[in-house]
Amino acid sequence: MSDLALLVPELILAGMALALILAARRIQETPVAVVGTVLAAMAAALAAGWVLSWGDKTGFGGMITLDGYSQFFKVLIAATLALTALFSARSLEGDQVPRAEYHALLLLSSTGMMLAVSSHDLLPLYLGLELMTLCSYILVGIRVERPASNEAAIKYFLLGSFASAVLIYGISLTYGVTGTTDFAAIASALSKHGTGSNLLLLVAIGLVAGGLAFKIAAVPLHAWAPDAYQGASAPVAAFLAAGSKAVGLAAMGRVCLAAYGSEARFLSVVLAGLAGLSIVVGSIIALSQTDMKRLLAYSSIAHAGYALLGLVAGTGEGASATMTYAFFYVFMTLGTFGVVAALGERGEKLDGYRGLAEQRPGIALLMLLFLMSLTGIPPTAGFAAKFVVILSAVRAGYMALAVLAVACSVVSAFFYMRVAVLMYMNGPQEAAPARFPAAVFAVLAVSALVTLIGGLSPGSLARWAVSP
Amino acid sequence: MTAYPVLTTTTFLPFVGAALILLFGSERLARWVALATTLATVAVSAPLYWYFDKASSALQFVESRDWIPSLNIAYGMGVDGISLPFIFLASLLSVLCIGASWAVVQTRVREFYAALLVAETAMIGLFAASNLFLFFVFWELMLVPIFLLIGVWGGPGRVYAAVKFLIFTLSGSVLMLVGTIAIYRTCDTLDFKALALARASLQPEQQAWLFAAFLAAFAVKVPMFPVHTWLPNAHTEAPTAGSVILAGILLKMGAYGFLRVSIPILSHGVQLFLKPMLFISAAAIVYGAYVTLVQTDIKRLIAFSSVSHMGFVTLGIFTLKQSGVEGAILQMFNHGIISAALFLCVGMVYERTHTREIKAYGGVAKSAPVYSSLLALFCLAAAGTPGLNSFVGEFLIIGGAFQTQVWLGVMAIWGVALGTAYIIWLYYRVVMGEMKLGLVGLKLELNAREVATLAPLAFLALALGLYPEYLLSYLRAPVAQLLGAGVTP
Repeated sequence: MSDLALLVPELILAGMALALILAARRIQETPVAVVGTVLAAMAAALAAGWVLSWGDKTGFGGMITLDGYSQFFKVLIAATLALTALFSARSLEGDQVPRAEYHALLLLSSTGMMLAVSSHDLLPLYLGLELMTLCSYILVGIRVERPASNEAAIKYFLLGSFASAVLIYGISLTYGVTGTTDFAAIASALSKHGTGSNLLLLVAIGLVAGGLAFKIAAVPLHAWAPDAYQGASAPVAAFLAAGSKAVGLAAMGRVCLAAYGSEARFLSVVLAGLAGLSIVVGSIIALSQTDMKRLLAYSSIAHAGYALLGLVAGTGEGASATMTYAFFYVFMTLGTFGVVAALGERGEKLDGYRGLAEQRPGIALLMLLFLMSLTGIPPTAGFAAKFVVILSAVRAGYMALAVLAVACSVVSAFFYMRVAVLMYMNGPQEAAPARFPAAVFAVLAVSALVTLIGGLSPGSLARWAVSP
Repeated sequence: MTAYPVLTTTTFLPFVGAALILLFGSERLARWVALATTLATVAVSAPLYWYFDKASSALQFVESRDWIPSLNIAYGMGVDGISLPFIFLASLLSVLCIGASWAVVQTRVREFYAALLVAETAMIGLFAASNLFLFFVFWELMLVPIFLLIGVWGGPGRVYAAVKFLIFTLSGSVLMLVGTIAIYRTCDTLDFKALALARASLQPEQQAWLFAAFLAAFAVKVPMFPVHTWLPNAHTEAPTAGSVILAGILLKMGAYGFLRVSIPILSHGVQLFLKPMLFISAAAIVYGAYVTLVQTDIKRLIAFSSVSHMGFVTLGIFTLKQSGVEGAILQMFNHGIISAALFLCVGMVYERTHTREIKAYGGVAKSAPVYSSLLALFCLAAAGTPGLNSFVGEFLIIGGAFQTQVWLGVMAIWGVALGTAYIIWLYYRVVMGEMKLGLVGLKLELNAREVATLAPLAFLALALGLYPEYLLSYLRAPVAQLLGAGVTP
């Protein structure tokens, strides 16, 4: 029984998902699904905080762990789920998506995410990530009437299964070398080998890192993101960008520190490569995009790179920097996607932002805030996040990588600020958008608040962002 | 000493005003709220001038609070004799900007004044910051409001100018971010005072890199030759208020950075880069002056003259002589007054004629005697006429230059001569001669609001010309300390 108590947040989410599916026929036309999802997310977040007060624990034979690290990400996942559910309403109406199933999938995907961040063993980690991704495949393709949506889902599914295979291959090789899949046991088995001596092990680590890099859309395993984001509805794209990335980073952080810590030098080179490539490729390809969601996909690829800068150091401090980055990134990206989703069809095209500042000055101002944060301009959370990850890269001695990262943030300023130029310096071409529903305002307000507080008080997260 | 934290209040009052305007203000009310805010900012900053101790070189009105305990970064504010004049200038120019925009800005009034006020917060905060982190935050905070001011309310080429401004300044400042992080990594602090003490832990070789990183940021802002190319676009396309802030304060931020960061902390780096810096400064003076001579657009002409004038400033700073540095800071202040005044003057006639081509002007004196007299005062000041403010600053800088290298002094004098030529020629073409046909019938004379906007600057130009010692007395102690701390030319 006490083992199950470690999974209270997961159980809440899974329970709500099952309840929604059972009641699906009755609640299809009502807001019950949204309310239920948001309540379940809040309950899960509270439960995550509550169980943390018991202190660090492990259960299920050491497979599931409960520590500050896992609970931090569980709260973040719950927040992502709640905010995504809140601004989904408009896109659901437009495409006649079955609400109960949609929300049940969001809930189940989040359950997988939570399982992944709390696992202390490669197998439950794989299990959690697969649950997350399987639900995301369906979510991407849930707008069945649209060919683009179907195409995106298929692409995502094919590449995703390939990445899962890579991950499980890495896991099996690790098992072959060490005879275990438990993180602590892997670490102690590896400490007996000489560093870098076992080629098979390096291949295994590379494969695991590759499989996880897919989840965070780091180059060269990023190809799915632009298509999937473009084909999916804006809320689903936001869910992928925020949730999938946070979880991938969490898993990467734990695997690097807890399991493969002894191969830190090899890992650091791999991660630095992933980070550098993601930042450069993401920033440069984003320049030529004309579709807002595609633009944000490439932006999310670049941000995956920035977040990885923290892990390059291979220290607990670096991992906390990545946690900070993931946290703030989730809110600024949800805010941006919130605006995109609320504008409907208009929000999908870059040209749709023309003259928005004249028609909706408040929304344009919020969008500007999120864009500043994505660029990393103070006083926003994006700057605080960038500061800590670059600091940790510099501390690890990767000076050139740090310079490359900031140079690319100038490139990224160009495309983020292009949206600002369209909003502020062009006249409107389309009629003013309809009034936003209150739920969307709630999402934007929460995201803006976190973005601002994170920028004005960058240390506020330090207490919770503790590495494993 | 005072009942409230003066620097924090002065810095963030405009920000509060901006928030009020955005949240509650109607278009009509926005102007009044903005004016009241800027005046209140000047009022709350009064204790700074009243209680300031000129004899001390230390930071005064120091405020320090925990900010990011995990990184040991504090929220620290403080002013010395070098930064105080610029806080005054920033708060004064903000009031005048509102005066200058009162009738011109008719579209999206609320956002305009909000952007202006946020820019004021950034300007004052930058000069009040007592650690590098806060300095950087205000440095970057400046970016977006100015970007919007140029891009939304500017002239025909505004979008290009705004984006160019943003990309240029951001390219410099991200390198400053890396430099800041590298300093933090070595010294474990970002407080200016602590860094000046801890600088020995920065290896000479490392200092060279750091100096280059900060130079990238400062040189773009100053702007130094050859990264000045954003400036003519930005100054020309910006609305009058934007040009005033750009020329009056933003350009000084770069020079202030040299004084606050490079010289006290990176002394080895400074010594290493000394010759190139002096050469670039001298080149900027002469090149800037020649390019100014051939301009046909009044605003562009004044913009290019800034390149030349800021060349004097960096030349003075890198002479590393007491008189040179004092002259440079005085000249920063003077240029803030004069270029702001000239942009205001141009803006005022532009509102009536809607052209900035010099060719379209002529004989303005016939219908606008008051305007012409004020413009004459500012043009003479810009040319460095004795009795007006620029003369003293240029004199001190040239003195410092001659002490360093004779050829630098010669270049500087050459620059002064060219400067007199372009500005007097401009005055001649615009104000004297026969009245151009296009101007006949226009009401060119200034109204009371416009005279009131220019009057404080005219007073300052005259007063500092007659009694420069008032400002120099603020600079003496901090500059002596700056140069006494071990940087030798």
